[in-house]
Amino acid sequence: MDHFPTNWGRPRNELHDQYNTYPIHQRPSQPKDVFGEGVQRTQQPIVTGTSVLAIKFKDGIMMAADNLASYGSLARFKDIQRLHPVGTSTIIGASGDMSDFQYLQHTLDELMVDEFTNGDGHELGPAEVHEYLSRVMYGRRSKLNPLWNSLLVGGLQDGKPFLAYVDLLGTTYSASSIATGYGSYIAIPILRAAVDNKENTLTEEDARKLLHECMRVLYYRDARSLDKYQIGIVTSAGVSVSDAIKLETNWDFAEGIRGYGAQTQ
Amino acid sequence: MPDTAHEQPQQRQFYPYTENGGTILAIAGADFTVIAGDTRQSEGYSIQTRYAPKVFRLTERAVLAVNGFAADGNMFVKKVKQRLEWYRHAHAKEMPLRAIARLIQTMLYAQRFFPYYVNNILGGIEEDGSGAVYSFDPVGSYEREACRAAGAASSLVQPFLDNQIYFKNQTPAPGTPHPTYLPLPDVLAIVIDSFTSATERHIEVGDGLEMYVVLAKGRSIEELADVAGVQELTTRADGDRMFVIQRELKKD
Amino acid sequence: MFLTRSEYDRGVNTFSPEGRLFQVEYAIEAIKLGSTTVGVKTPEGVVLGIEKRVQSPLLESSSIEKIMEIDLHLGCAMSGLTADARTMIDHARVTSQNHAFTFDERIKVESVTQAVCDLALRFGESVHDEDAMMSRPFGVALLIAGIDELGPQLFHTDPSGTFVRYEAKAIGSGSEAAQSELQDKWHSRMTLQEAQALTLRVLKQVMEEKLDQHNVQLAQVTPEKGFEILDEVRLKAIIDAM
Repeated sequence: MDHFPTNWGRPRNELHDQYNTYPIHQRPSQPKDVFGEGVQRTQQPIVTGTSVLAIKFKDGIMMAADNLASYGSLARFKDIQRLHPVGTSTIIGASGDMSDFQYLQHTLDELMVDEFTNGDGHELGPAEVHEYLSRVMYGRRSKLNPLWNSLLVGGLQDGKPFLAYVDLLGTTYSASSIATGYGSYIAIPILRAAVDNKENTLTEEDARKLLHECMRVLYYRDARSLDKYQIGIVTSAGVSVSDAIKLETNWDFAEGIRGYGAQTQ
Repeated sequence: MPDTAHEQPQQRQFYPYTENGGTILAIAGADFTVIAGDTRQSEGYSIQTRYAPKVFRLTERAVLAVNGFAADGNMFVKKVKQRLEWYRHAHAKEMPLRAIARLIQTMLYAQRFFPYYVNNILGGIEEDGSGAVYSFDPVGSYEREACRAAGAASSLVQPFLDNQIYFKNQTPAPGTPHPTYLPLPDVLAIVIDSFTSATERHIEVGDGLEMYVVLAKGRSIEELADVAGVQELTTRADGDRMFVIQRELKKD
Repeated sequence: MFLTRSEYDRGVNTFSPEGRLFQVEYAIEAIKLGSTTVGVKTPEGVVLGIEKRVQSPLLESSSIEKIMEIDLHLGCAMSGLTADARTMIDHARVTSQNHAFTFDERIKVESVTQAVCDLALRFGESVHDEDAMMSRPFGVALLIAGIDELGPQLFHTDPSGTFVRYEAKAIGSGSEAAQSELQDKWHSRMTLQEAQALTLRVLKQVMEEKLDQHNVQLAQVTPEKGFEILDEVRLKAIIDAM
């Protein structure tokens, strides 16, 4: 007899765990796919997006990501949008594998439609979307079949700015300025200096300038970045993603650099 | 992105773990327990956030500190809390501390071949009113102790506790044996000193300190009255009492 | 009979228009055919007593097993189709052990009773691929005695899966007379010895044969020794002292 009430009424499988060797809460359910061994799981990202930056400001959150999707060192797609609005108070930004991100976009869009059709007046906010994504990302890493992304989730939760991170390992955290990829090395010091303890006074214009500056620095230093990016904003007015913004850069300084690369003098 | 995948794509295999730094610590007194952790979360040399709690209130009299791989830690705490709620529904009582300790063992050991990459320290008040600390390894081996430090700076803090709590390498003055339990103010001072020291010497420790204090039912709270940054979390009038003390640590 | 009961007593999963499940009610009737079983709770512990119907002089009365141990702190007496009780007690034992393994503590009497009662309604026709365990309800009632942090307790379970806590309870063929006797004689400050004597006296009243150490069995759960079945020597001493 099966002494574990959690199994009662489930499809029977006499070949499996006949002697209740597994603890009550952690029981394997069904035998696995017979072709399972032959299935390849994601071991590396293929077409990738680089950093995403995001900060809190006094009216909400602002996010920035460039429009490049790289294929290794090849700048493969230069018109890719990496910011994605979810519902009316959330935006997500993705770095890492772009196909995995597009899969997540579809999953989230479907989720929002399902929630809408419930017609119960509830709408998922950024905290719920982040929690959901955390479950998905951690679940996939636990199956050793990760979605190869670092994601930022921002928005307004109960009128307050919300900003959080989740990655392919399921690691999560929240802070008033977050960046993925090279942004976490290059942009974060700039962002923290400008944002920390000023979340309630920083204006939208300040935030926009700050992110613009960081995107410029990243374009100078990150070889997988592009001088074309978009800004996503969530305020009480709603979610919006800007048109592409062009970064003006000046590479004159490069002429004066000596001592590495192909130059011989 | 610092992605080595591009350099040697054939070799690379997905590794499902990381370490997120930080340190946790718990000390049991005769009728109280202090459970503490810093609030920094990092990966590599990057500070991800300055406030990610590692210490969680489980029941009126139990607190769990979790350190290691943050994603596993958060999931583990979530699952423990879920089990505690199921238990409350099934048995119409709060789970006693030693039952929580055993539950944590079975939950950790159930993942023996894909472990939660975390060190757990459980602290609180036993059914007999005594302060207690249980420490666990990632696969569930556990014991009850008077004190334990775990995490990134455990190798810095534990020897200090051995000396200050267990009086290792100390010789008592003739006729005055070492006390079995220290008073609460002494314990709080040791905890704070442990973390300020660990912050000085370990790059993954710092930013903030959260100390949970659980006092056995009926015990005086006088010693906590003039402590800075203390906040009471007790919800039941006639039981044990719980407090959290929040302090700043250096952020460099 | 046929006309009055109509067809609604056939299927185990069909309510009658009056809202009754006849098979479950018949199962409860089956208990009244069983031998008398008594449980008495005192502040010092719980006493269980059963009558062994020794139907033949060749029958070895010591082989009649109607009181069983569930765990060190839990015991159980039964009446009705005692074979059915084996499934329930087996489940109770596993549940109790599993609780001890997972939580390092003794399971509460009510929790183990609930676990046993969870089994009671798992009869009926199995749906495609589903694992139904029984084709009919259990035909047995249990008195579950035990001690936990809430003190000594006595629970009664029946085939409908209902369980109720009692100070003293009698089930089986002589239960009506026995229960009214218990109601008369039970009081809240009883000693364990008084409870033993009361249990035997109640059994004696409803038994056809003369009561001796071979045709009754006593068990008790105490804080000191947990569950124990009294052997014939101790039983005889108690009977002699009555």
